[in-house]
Amino acid sequence: MSGWYATAIIVISLLLVLWAGILLVIKRQPDLILALGGVLLEVLLLGFVIGGIVQMVGSDRDFARAEFVGYLIACLVVLPAAFLWARGEKSRAGLAVIAVAYLLLPILILRVQQVWEGNNVQ
Amino acid sequence: MSNNDASAPAPSSGRGFGRVLVAIYGIFALAATARSVFQITTKFSEAPLAYLLSALAASIYVVATIALARGDRTSRRVATGAILIELIGVLTIGTASLVWPDAFGVATVWTGFGSGYGFVPLVLPVVGLWWLRHTRSH
Repeated sequence: MSGWYATAIIVISLLLVLWAGILLVIKRQPDLILALGGVLLEVLLLGFVIGGIVQMVGSDRDFARAEFVGYLIACLVVLPAAFLWARGEKSRAGLAVIAVAYLLLPILILRVQQVWEGNNVQ
Repeated sequence: MSNNDASAPAPSSGRGFGRVLVAIYGIFALAATARSVFQITTKFSEAPLAYLLSALAASIYVVATIALARGDRTSRRVATGAILIELIGVLTIGTASLVWPDAFGVATVWTGFGSGYGFVPLVLPVVGLWWLRHTRSH
């Protein structure tokens, strides 16, 4: 659940936050990089989620499985939801919504890892 | 949801910056609701007070999200009410959690003024009320 694959997702996501931030500052609309980055991330996330569920099924460790699956589903939903919600918003707010989604993803991945390790904060 | 806003008259609480606000409220609504359902169904007896507070917070976030997104006259009133309760909640629980650290058993979203969530729970209602005021039609 941790390792280079998850780290790659986090790094790409944060780079896209940075890019969205730059676009916000120079007052541009969401561009192709932001969209293609989203597609790439969604594909990577699909692999992450499938891998996560396979590992969960293959493990007999005691951890919060329902929460784990919940966070995995959230990982998949975030980007499509953000792009849908940002659509039709001509102002820079649409871009900001996408930036928030890219910022949320690393947090979700970290939570997935925490739940997997069993260090449940709450 | 209507997207043909070429001649949109009054600013609505769900448009422009409101999109971002609704998105962030939506994230908190979803996360808080999911967490709350999980806590109450699996381990309610461990910390009933904290889990009830979490459920209350979750429902306030849900109401505020929907009301802000709709943005009509009634919704704005509902949103204002919900966000006021949210502000009072985070201030009260935040203070209480500092004065009586052991009172709640486990952390809620409002413990320590939302310090577990980057203080977003404290900032959100202030921004929400400002935005409702800002988009008020004259």
